[in-house]
Amino acid sequence: MSSEPRLLHILRCVVRYHAQDAGFAAEDADGLSMAVDEAASNVIRHTYGNRRDGRLTLEVWTYPDRLEFTLEDWGPKVRPETLQPRPLAEIRPGGLGTYFMKCFMDAISYDEDFAGGNRLRLVKYLSPKGSTCDEGAGPERK
Amino acid sequence: MKVQVRNESNATIIDCAGEIDLYSSPALREALLREMRGASANVLVNLNGVSYIDSSGIATLVEGLQLSQRTQTRFGLFGLRSNARSVLELARLTKVFAVFENEQEALAKIASTQPFSGLA
Repeated sequence: MSSEPRLLHILRCVVRYHAQDAGFAAEDADGLSMAVDEAASNVIRHTYGNRRDGRLTLEVWTYPDRLEFTLEDWGPKVRPETLQPRPLAEIRPGGLGTYFMKCFMDAISYDEDFAGGNRLRLVKYLSPKGSTCDEGAGPERK
Repeated sequence: MKVQVRNESNATIIDCAGEIDLYSSPALREALLREMRGASANVLVNLNGVSYIDSSGIATLVEGLQLSQRTQTRFGLFGLRSNARSVLELARLTKVFAVFENEQEALAKIASTQPFSGLA
C-alpha cells in the first residue's frame, strides 16, 4: 500500500481478519490491529515524513503457536533507540504509539539485514506470554 | 470520521463519530483548537460514536487539554465506549481528563470541574 493515512483502516481490517482467523478473540484481534496501525502510522509520519507516495508492505504469517506481522518500508533506516515510548507520567501529546505496540505484541524487532529500508517484525503468541506493556525499551535490533 | 460542533446551555460539544486515526485526527484537532480559542468557557468531546482511537487521537485530546490550561477553558470527555476507555486506561489518562458517563452528567458537572494542572 502507499503511505496514505486514508488506507490505514484497510490495514486494520486485514489484521483483524487474520487474527480472528488464527484463533484470537475479538478483543485481542482489535489490539493486534491497533499495534500494526501504530507501526504503519510511525512509518508514514517518521520514515516518510507524511509523504503519501511512499510504499509499505505488510505480510502476515500464521504459525500453529503465533501470528507474525512483517511491515516493510523503503525509507531511511530507523534507529530503534529513537522509538522509545515516553514515560506515562510525563503527560504530553505523542510518544504513545510504540507503547501501544508493546502492549499488544509479545515481541517487536527490526531486521537489520533488510536492504530496502526497514523491516519491522511483530509477533503475538496464541498462548499468553505475559504482557510487554511497560514503559521499558522500544523495539530491538536483530 | 465525522466531527460536528454544537452549542448547549453551558458548553460547546464536539460530537465525533467513526474511527480516529492518523488520517482523521487532524479534523478533531482543528475543531478542538478552534473551540478552545473561541468564546466557550467549557468544551466537551462526545466520543459515543467513536469505535476506534489510536495514539494520534489520544495525542489530539492531550493537546486539547494543554490548550485548555492556557486558555482557562474547562475541558472534558463523555460517552466513552469500551475500546476508547481501554486505550485511555492503558495510557493511564483516565484520571488526567475529566471523564463523564454521558452528556447530561457532563453538562451538569463541567462548570465545577477543576482544571488539570499536571501537564509536562
